[in-house]
Amino acid sequence: MKKTKEFNNILDECLERLLVKGETIEQCLQSYPEQVAELEPLLQTALATKGALIMQPRPEFKAKARYQFRSALQEVAFRRRRPLFGWVPRWATAVIIVLVLLLAGGGVVAAAGNSMPDNPLYPVKLATEQAQLALTPSDMNKAELYAKLADRRVVEIIYMANQGDVRQVEVITQRLDERLTMLARLASATVGGAPKALAPAEETVGDRDVRVRANNQAKLRTTLAYYAINHPAGLRAALDKAPESAKPALRRAIAVSVAGYERALKALD
Amino acid sequence: MQDEESLVRRAQQRDEEAFAQLYEAHFDKIYRYVAFKIGNKTEAEDMTQQVFLNALQSISSFKWRGILFSAWLFRIAHNQVVDYLRKKTKQATAPLGESLVSNDSNPQLMAEHKLDIEQLVSATKRLTRAQREVISLRFAGELPIAQVAKVMGRSQGAVKALQRSAIVALRKALLMAEGNEKD
Repeated sequence: MKKTKEFNNILDECLERLLVKGETIEQCLQSYPEQVAELEPLLQTALATKGALIMQPRPEFKAKARYQFRSALQEVAFRRRRPLFGWVPRWATAVIIVLVLLLAGGGVVAAAGNSMPDNPLYPVKLATEQAQLALTPSDMNKAELYAKLADRRVVEIIYMANQGDVRQVEVITQRLDERLTMLARLASATVGGAPKALAPAEETVGDRDVRVRANNQAKLRTTLAYYAINHPAGLRAALDKAPESAKPALRRAIAVSVAGYERALKALD
Repeated sequence: MQDEESLVRRAQQRDEEAFAQLYEAHFDKIYRYVAFKIGNKTEAEDMTQQVFLNALQSISSFKWRGILFSAWLFRIAHNQVVDYLRKKTKQATAPLGESLVSNDSNPQLMAEHKLDIEQLVSATKRLTRAQREVISLRFAGELPIAQVAKVMGRSQGAVKALQRSAIVALRKALLMAEGNEKD
């Protein structure tokens, strides 16, 4: 028992020297000449295992992922700097926003709906969207709403790029990325249990629920497939016309859009 | 890189730079762990990114109680892998080795690498779940034994014993596969 424990410790020490410190098998064996017969084959297997596991993510993916992660970090930092009703639950925040908007008047909300980021009513548009999200109950409806909001962000990016406002293009691209990340998460949550035949001859209430869900998934997939082509295409077209200063930010927006829809569509598979 | 504890404390205060450093330091290891466990390179990339986004959301809940930040990350990764595999059991997947083939442009190198990874993935199927986990954390994730023990909720002694039995079993499986190929 004691011998076994001792050997386990020796093996672990040698693995550490081999895998972390970069020593050779021979160096380890020299330290434990009595254990050579048992130790050597195990260290050879360990080294081969380590060699087979030298895998790296694709550099282009890593670059894209790094950018997305930085965007998520900035978004978190931004929310921390500007807590909006941080002390009340999310549903209460939504109710407060709705009340404020109602008091402000339906006309303001309607006018804000089409406002662009350089418009004073734009914060009302964002607040209305937050309220809509908070009050939307199901994952499927939320996913549809996120897709709609992503569409708005793309329109805003194109508009601000035409204005040459690089900072705004960057900020809205971050929002787009966040919307698409949430969309992929929700799309993934809605997947499962879809029947092969969408309209069986005799169906139970349970069957009907599954069928409705499958149809909603199909609808969402169609919307996303359309946006996956349309959004990057619209952004690329804007790239040709945009001032030079806005082009790097637009290229990032294209990358975010392509990756975001790819993720969301994959999540639906 | 600064010491991990101070980086994590700064990241908990939403210090962007600190979190970015932690991201860079651990991304490849988490990726290797996930790729080895799920057997698909492309999906491993997305899942690795998701591990870090989840960590970003919940970093305030991380507490220094003898557990390293890396071990905490691997727990998040482990949970995601378990969820993924549970979903995947109902779907047919591509052969593992093929999905894990490296992107090397050198065909000879690529073939050799493929052979290694195919053998390894196939051989680990003969291991127990705990043995596979030790191999994943120790060799793909490069965690020291003390942290493997924390992630797995076992004593260091138990993990060392498991590590030995895993390598022995792996060697047997690899030799057996080699013998079958020669026959």
